[in-house]
Amino acid sequence: MIPQPLADTHDVVFDVEHITLRFGGVVSLNDVSMQMRRGEILAVIGPNGAGKTSLFNVLTGVYTPQEGRVLLRGRPGDSPVSVIGKKTHVINRLGVARTFQNIRLFPALTAIENVKVAVETRQKAGPLAAMLGMPWQRKEERDSTAAAYALMRDVGLGERGNELASSLAYGEQRRLEIARALGTNPGVLLLDEPAAGTNPQEKRELAELISRINRERNISVLLIEHDMKLVMSVADRIIVLNFGGKIAEGTPEEIQRNPAVVAAYLGTSAEDAARQATDQPELHLIDTQLEPPPTDEERSGD
Amino acid sequence: MTTLETPPTTTPTPPPPPPAMRRAGNETSRVLLKRLAGCLIGGFVLGLMVNSKEGSPDDFGFVFHQTALKPRMLIFLAIGVVIFAGITFWGYLRQHARRPGVRPLGMGILVIVVSQVVLNWYDPQTVKFNGLRKLVDKSSGLSSTTTWFFDWLSWTLVALSVVVTGAAIVTRRRVFGWVTTVLGIAGAVLAWTAHSDVLDLGGGIDHSLGAYGDVIGFLILAGAGATVALSQAEVADSRGFMTRVMEYRPGLPFAVLGAVLAAFSYARNCWFAPVNRNLDFAKTHDAYQGTDINSLASNYLGWLGWVCFVVVAVLTLAATYLRQRLLGWLAAGAALVATVLTFFSLKSMTDVAAKSVPQFGKSWNNLGAGGFTACISYGLFAAAAAYVIARPKTRAAGKSATLPVSRALEKARNSANMKALIVIALAVALFYPPMLSQYWQNVLVTQMAVYLLLAVGLNVVVGWAGLLDLGYIAFYAVGAYTTAYLTGSLPRKPPSWLHMTPLLTIPFAIVACLIAGVLLGAPTLRLRGDYLAIVTLGFGEIIQIVAQNNPGNFTNGPRGVEPPVPHPKLEIGGWKITWGLDNLPYWYLLLVMLAIVVVLFYRLENSRLGRAWAAIREDEVAAQASGVNTVRAKLLAFAIGASTSALAGTFFASQTGFFDPTQFDIFTSILIVAYVVFGGMGSLPGAMAGAAVLTWLPEFLKSQVPTDDRQMWVGALVLAMMIFRPAGLLPAKRRKAELSHLDEASPGEVSAIPRGGAM
Repeated sequence: MIPQPLADTHDVVFDVEHITLRFGGVVSLNDVSMQMRRGEILAVIGPNGAGKTSLFNVLTGVYTPQEGRVLLRGRPGDSPVSVIGKKTHVINRLGVARTFQNIRLFPALTAIENVKVAVETRQKAGPLAAMLGMPWQRKEERDSTAAAYALMRDVGLGERGNELASSLAYGEQRRLEIARALGTNPGVLLLDEPAAGTNPQEKRELAELISRINRERNISVLLIEHDMKLVMSVADRIIVLNFGGKIAEGTPEEIQRNPAVVAAYLGTSAEDAARQATDQPELHLIDTQLEPPPTDEERSGD
Repeated sequence: MTTLETPPTTTPTPPPPPPAMRRAGNETSRVLLKRLAGCLIGGFVLGLMVNSKEGSPDDFGFVFHQTALKPRMLIFLAIGVVIFAGITFWGYLRQHARRPGVRPLGMGILVIVVSQVVLNWYDPQTVKFNGLRKLVDKSSGLSSTTTWFFDWLSWTLVALSVVVTGAAIVTRRRVFGWVTTVLGIAGAVLAWTAHSDVLDLGGGIDHSLGAYGDVIGFLILAGAGATVALSQAEVADSRGFMTRVMEYRPGLPFAVLGAVLAAFSYARNCWFAPVNRNLDFAKTHDAYQGTDINSLASNYLGWLGWVCFVVVAVLTLAATYLRQRLLGWLAAGAALVATVLTFFSLKSMTDVAAKSVPQFGKSWNNLGAGGFTACISYGLFAAAAAYVIARPKTRAAGKSATLPVSRALEKARNSANMKALIVIALAVALFYPPMLSQYWQNVLVTQMAVYLLLAVGLNVVVGWAGLLDLGYIAFYAVGAYTTAYLTGSLPRKPPSWLHMTPLLTIPFAIVACLIAGVLLGAPTLRLRGDYLAIVTLGFGEIIQIVAQNNPGNFTNGPRGVEPPVPHPKLEIGGWKITWGLDNLPYWYLLLVMLAIVVVLFYRLENSRLGRAWAAIREDEVAAQASGVNTVRAKLLAFAIGASTSALAGTFFASQTGFFDPTQFDIFTSILIVAYVVFGGMGSLPGAMAGAAVLTWLPEFLKSQVPTDDRQMWVGALVLAMMIFRPAGLLPAKRRKAELSHLDEASPGEVSAIPRGGAM
């Protein structure tokens, strides 16, 4: 499972080398290395507690790993910067935006204000200009409103701008979080279980949205997701974590056939899983997920 | 299995109902007992609260004995029982309680009871309704209706109104409603005439509120009767009614109110009150005949005043009725001109009086309420005109309130409401204080004014950024001491080029407070919630103790500042304003400061920094992940909040002249937090309203309840507020949303007591 050496290293967004993250005696990430290429959708999967969200928190500066090195080229053409020890908002400014596993919007702000908060972090006007109502501050205000509305329309919330974020439906809140993340004009988008708690219809729309963001805005996407169908349908590559270590990396097809992955999900040994996989070719990872298998209706919908 | 019912085979034999029912019965009786006990205790506490001054203030046991073991306590226990019955039989009462007219009826009774039990009725003797009744009994020369009113008529009218309205609500007979209306109006007229009768006989200046409250209460009762008579709806819809009234002709209610007020002021109010004489508008004109008053004021008193009133009233009424924007502008302009004319006439009146008869005092003395009431009514006219200007006929999309209103209409409505409210608030803030007695002007300037500013400043930190700052008073102290230093009132004198007048010290005080704000903010940035509160509490203490300890002989320690900080002066070109010992000018100085601060902060709230603060308050981690520099935003919150208290400090130092470190204690700090929370965290008008109400109330209660009981009533009000309106008096839009959202999620979390869990 050694990653393929990349032809052009300038195309690497995140270059993670041997990071180890410990909380006291608990090892959350153990010598994890990975590379994320520009423009790809990279999925990180793994059972609960595998260290996926910890990895996200290291990449966004929430946690500082004890060992290892993380280099970031946020937007195309940037020179590599180490993210270790940098504050979250600084890393965000370098082009890394994220969403959260449990939705973390600003519930008492309206939907449009949620996005504006993110858009405005790139603006210049200070409190004095705001208090005195300077023309450039007013222009920035108009610009941010326009940009925020454009983003809202993009994620399909164009009509809901003046609703309170807390009054939106669950799936809409997920999409609003994505719009807010896009508001900071990122080069890479980290999505932490964006499909959790959404229904099949919303999942399909979400998959379409993720691919579209990736394609049209040329934003690299790092995706944590438990829904295998979604992962398999959108991801270019997949990294599998288990117990804080990376156990596999490859294309969706490779991962589905990888005995170590199947073992991690089924809880059996790798050899057993490999035998099972060869014995019963129809036993794919898709069917081993913890959720109930898709109904006929869903299958036909695909 | 096709049915959703539980298969009978899996259920054991159904549990015998009697035990379950017995348990339910036990539960019910326990709840009832708890509720009864709660209501009785509540009545008992109320009885203790509404007591007369008995016993010595130090001997609480004796006081308790005196108040608790009197037969009158039975009345309050009975109130408890009534409330118990009300809660218990709410289900039965409900079908009637939701009918139209019930709420105004309750409100009217409440107002009447409060004004006849709690409020003062006759200031020269400082007596309440009962005391006045005894006085009336003893004195001769009052008309018999007055004697009757104080003897039995007032309570009888209330009782009759309740019975008749109750009958009207239950039987749905219109005639009963009209009877109540007549009774209410009769009660109002009787209360007014009886009180005037007493004043005519007794003499003296009366500032008591009881009679006015009573009149308003009876008028509300009349309104309740009219509501019952006119509305046959099954369920009352007060909001819908208000919307219909406001939507019929936006601004018309204000115009009518202004017309009534102005007519009252020109016809009845006292315009000029030299030594113990009260002259109304016409008599003032007679009094100024033959003096060297200028022609403007002379004409104003003769005919111009009335012309102003008629022109403005007709223009405004026409504008609001026809909804023509041009007429609206004309009406607003006319109102402005009328205000200016009134103002200058008043000025020349007092100038002449002060010049010709020196014992009348200085300019602006001896004026009655009339002129200022007229100015306020012109403000009301202007507010009505503002409605027309903001929403003329062409843009009135929703003809009836039943149609769904579009967002644009709602926006126009909100902006019109806001404009009108600003105009009215400004008119009241400008022209109401001159009508107040010296005592209240003093309270306004020394108690309220500073706290208005402080509450607005603290609102930035606590309300917007969500950082609980319990040491806010420290910045106030820094501001006050900076001013004292720069005006040479501390032992250490500033270099001569830095020695300046108080108003010039404002920028320096602001800078000093900005630095102090950053100094406090920087080490506490990692702290949140309770921890931050404790550190700021410590900061407040440190500043006070430092001021006490007088390091380097800078603060002069507990002796306070000496010589006194000079009063402010302002010289622009040849134009010179000096503030002295009079209170009123300080109020206008503060008003200017407050207006500037409020305008700046209003813009700030809707800027990117304001939104960033809200984001940090809501979810700091998400704010960071969205690229918000939380460190910078928090520091700015501390610094901007602190700079407001610099203004307050300068104002305070130069107004009082003297202060010492004891004035910057923790208690005051916590009071300011209470003002902000009470008014509505994160809401500018809320913070001001909270500060105004909570500084006014203790002073008001001074003359209404025993002095030692004042804080108890204030506490009761704050408690009631937190239970019934947790978002505050005038909640912020954002905060309100936050709370209502939480309310849906978990009903018990927001209010101090869980909904429905009380008793």
